[in-house]
Amino acid sequence: MKFPKFQNRWRFRREETFNQMYLLGVQSVPIIVVSLGFVGLMMILELAFHMRLVLKHDALVPAFSAVLMVRELGPVITCLLLTSRIGAGIAAEIGSMKVTEQIDALKLLSIDPVDYLVIPRWLGSVFSACTLTVISIAVALWGGAFLATQKLGTSPGEYFNTVFFFVKFPDVLRCLIKAFVFGTLIPLIAAYHGFKCDLGSAAVGEAATQAVVRSSLAIIIADFLLTYLFYAV
Amino acid sequence: MEASRKWVQTFGGMILLFSECLSLTFQKKIRWQQVVHQIFQVGVSSLGMTITAGLFVGAIMALQIDVQLKDFGAEAFLGGLSTSTTLRNVGPVLIAFLLSGKVGAYTSAELGTMEVTEQLNAIRLLGANPVEYIILPRIWAVVISSFLLLIVGLMVTIFGGVIFAEFIGVNALSYVQNIPRIVTGWSLVLSVVKSFVFGVLIAVISCYKGYHARGGSVGVGVAVQSCSVTNLMLIILFDFLLSMAASTLEDIFRVGYL
Repeated sequence: MKFPKFQNRWRFRREETFNQMYLLGVQSVPIIVVSLGFVGLMMILELAFHMRLVLKHDALVPAFSAVLMVRELGPVITCLLLTSRIGAGIAAEIGSMKVTEQIDALKLLSIDPVDYLVIPRWLGSVFSACTLTVISIAVALWGGAFLATQKLGTSPGEYFNTVFFFVKFPDVLRCLIKAFVFGTLIPLIAAYHGFKCDLGSAAVGEAATQAVVRSSLAIIIADFLLTYLFYAV
Repeated sequence: MEASRKWVQTFGGMILLFSECLSLTFQKKIRWQQVVHQIFQVGVSSLGMTITAGLFVGAIMALQIDVQLKDFGAEAFLGGLSTSTTLRNVGPVLIAFLLSGKVGAYTSAELGTMEVTEQLNAIRLLGANPVEYIILPRIWAVVISSFLLLIVGLMVTIFGGVIFAEFIGVNALSYVQNIPRIVTGWSLVLSVVKSFVFGVLIAVISCYKGYHARGGSVGVGVAVQSCSVTNLMLIILFDFLLSMAASTLEDIFRVGYL
């Protein structure tokens, strides 16, 4: 196998990349906003139970849930949702292109299929993972503020004060690094399974399944490694 | 408007499919040999992935709760608090996400391929009901195997937490001794109920989406994608609803507290 030579990679297919940003990012917004809103509500409920059990009062619930949200659940749940939304789609799309011999046609036109298919999807996926993580954490915090005012009796100002006191800037930066890594893993694994797809209609479904499973597992493992690297070393 | 109409249509279709399966089950038309075969095919092949995911989820939550408790100065509660948070909500949700990718997408891809290659039409042509012969054993197999896999995964998360606590220098014995102080029987009941509900959701959604796949090999890919998206959204929604119900019960009857 020939190792690819380093080329001037600052050129990219702008039209195709913006198209993928729209398809992968903008179209996932409703799903992710709705889901992460519920996650934000749920975190307040669960942590209120635990804090009442352990500390006998619930003053620390907003801080604890917001820190857990920013450090852990925000990027992970967003990117797992994004995986199921785009991972299967990318694998099925590239797989059916392989089955219908469109990839061979691209090679015949001396267009590199990686350059034409994978790079725009990678840029689009990284862009959408980072932006959607920010949006989803904002939505989850607003959901948490709503439920905290209804159930715990903290005022919204009090809620956001504690949140901004306990969530530090490095947490936000690490959260974005996590989103970047997860956003890179999804299209790479999905495109690999698409290119490796056998001929036949059963193989496309198989490739889509494998892409979703492997990239979700890769996200969980990468999350463990990154969390360990950021907070325990 | 179009999107919401589609959602309502999907919900109605899923409820109709599930009620048809339930009525066929009560008419004792279920073939247990097929169910066992499917459980073996779907469940056993997912066991390794579930155990891996469980270990990592347990370790992540132990680490994360440890770092946060240090900020608040309450490290004494590490074992109980991380195990309880994992068992009650984070564990079932994350493991069900992975299972919906593995079990759900596998089932919907298999059924979708059958539908697209007109094998289900062949069954209809023979005068048989495809729901009874193909869907019914699969639904029960996926319910049973997802439920059992979730329980196995949750047990493994406890184990992963213990291993990781020892790894970062917390005494494993004090970690384990702390668990029964905070994890009550009520929390275990809640996590078992959540596991069962998520198993039913994965089964019904993946069978519905596979059964309604249309249009060649592209249609199978679309079915797999929309199956896993619907699965994840409904898992989060039902997780919230069950947590809300549990919290209401806790407030009214004071169950769950020590």
